Amino acid sequence: MAYLVMFHWGWLLGALLLGFAMGWIAVVHRGPGVSRAQAGWLGLLVAGLLAATLSHIVPGRPGYWLELGLITLGPYVAGCAVGSVLRAWVVRRSVATRSC
Amino acid sequence: MDGFFKWSSKWWPGLIPLTVLWAFAAWTSTAPLEADLADRSAAALHGAVLDKTTIAVAGRDVSLGAEAFSEQARSAAVDAVEAVSGVRLVNDATRLVPEAKPFVWSAERDVVRVTLAGSAPLPASKAKLTEAARGALGGVEVSDQMKLSRGAPAHFDEAAVLLLGQIVKRKDGKFTISDSSVSLSGMARELGDREAIAAALRNLPEGFKIAANDLKAPPYVFQVNKDPVASTLTLSGNVPNDSVHAAITAAAARKFVSEKVVDNLKTSIGAPGGFAAAVVPALGALSRLSTGTLVVSDREAKLSGDALYDGAALQIRAGLGRDFPQYWQFMADISVKPAVAPVDATVCQQLFSELLGKAGIRFETGKADIDPDSAGLLDRLVETALRCPASNIEVAGHTDTDGDDATNQALSEKRAQAVVDYLVKAGLPPGRFTATGFGSTQPLVPNDSDEGKAHNRRIEFKVM
Repeated sequence: MAYLVMFHWGWLLGALLLGFAMGWIAVVHRGPGVSRAQAGWLGLLVAGLLAATLSHIVPGRPGYWLELGLITLGPYVAGCAVGSVLRAWVVRRSVATRSC
Repeated sequence: MDGFFKWSSKWWPGLIPLTVLWAFAAWTSTAPLEADLADRSAAALHGAVLDKTTIAVAGRDVSLGAEAFSEQARSAAVDAVEAVSGVRLVNDATRLVPEAKPFVWSAERDVVRVTLAGSAPLPASKAKLTEAARGALGGVEVSDQMKLSRGAPAHFDEAAVLLLGQIVKRKDGKFTISDSSVSLSGMARELGDREAIAAALRNLPEGFKIAANDLKAPPYVFQVNKDPVASTLTLSGNVPNDSVHAAITAAAARKFVSEKVVDNLKTSIGAPGGFAAAVVPALGALSRLSTGTLVVSDREAKLSGDALYDGAALQIRAGLGRDFPQYWQFMADISVKPAVAPVDATVCQQLFSELLGKAGIRFETGKADIDPDSAGLLDRLVETALRCPASNIEVAGHTDTDGDDATNQALSEKRAQAVVDYLVKAGLPPGRFTATGFGSTQPLVPNDSDEGKAHNRRIEFKVM
């Protein structure tokens, strides 16, 4: 894991920034979201992929690409979370300012 | 919290650029990552004693192929690659180097190269042995056909290096180590090298033994060439020691009275038994030839040349083999010199005087037995007598003044008769010869010194 992070830190930073931007937009986005059921299925899919990569059942390059996908997903989700929380805080502050 | 779930439900559109980013990362990073892992895996195996090592990386999985020289080294190599940071798993395709039973190694020398074959225990040993062969034989091609095997005896390297150190003393043939048995075959380079190799092999490491030593020495060659034109007798080749050398040159000086002896002999060990006992009579036979060569190779003596007359050829062919030591072979390729033109009595007398002027016919002390050293001279006297068939010849015996007159008279007569008998035996008609004894009555010089007495003890030929 440490080796992968060291080797791909640029890509992971990109994923983090992408996530931050997506999280920032998601707070004020009016489009359709993912239903809870779909979210559950997605979570299950990610858990399955995580189990596959930890158990090393996918060999060679596909195994590496799977690891790379999962390790990129982590900073993306973290970035989304940070972005959404920050945007929500910014929005709350501006609403409070206007109501005063 | 509900708000967070609501926002997170809208994060999915970012997955599309994330997928593009992932695909691009996979596209560009796979090859560098594999190369990095391959380099670091190879670095982790640096210093490990392995053969045929292959490292193939797919993703973060390393396929390691190698032949190890012990189970411990094999598992240590796999562990070392597994411990490389970034390696996910190791596909272990390592195995142990095959064990050789028996463990056989050989060094074969021929005219142009040395071939190292069989098994070597470690790559370092292989390199060491190749280097040792090159060091021992500068400029000779060394062909390394050794394969690596387990099962070498203890101190194998030492034994093999010792053998390679001796390869310079070999002309051709093979050194073989089979487990702890050493065998040798082929031919040593020089006389004495076989013995030198045998001596060096006494220092083989503990546990090694000589199973077979079939190393042959090069033939022990001694050669004599009699050249009547240059009037030389050339001795060449080998003699076993200085005393035999001196004995042979002394015998040559006694037997070849007309020729200058050219001594090119060198002292070498390895002479066959009975060397001097064979060479001296063979020199006697050569002295009876007009022109000829004696070649002694190990225990085989070959005499070729021209005898002075038919009887001499027959005697040489039949007689010499009997004088030889046991296990020696004698081969005679003797022809007869064409008869020389007849001469008149005066020239005949001159020829006899010239021959007997160079050296006298020698007898055993106090006896009338002709010394074998005088055979060559007698044959020349026979040849001369054959050139003047119409002349009668008086063979006169003379002694010095030692002893009483009656004894000297009798001795001189007997010696003269012995010479006549020799001439008759050679095929000359007995009626042409008269044996006369003069005792000490006709000295050439005063009998007051050993030299003078030796001069007065003589046989003279007088053409009537």
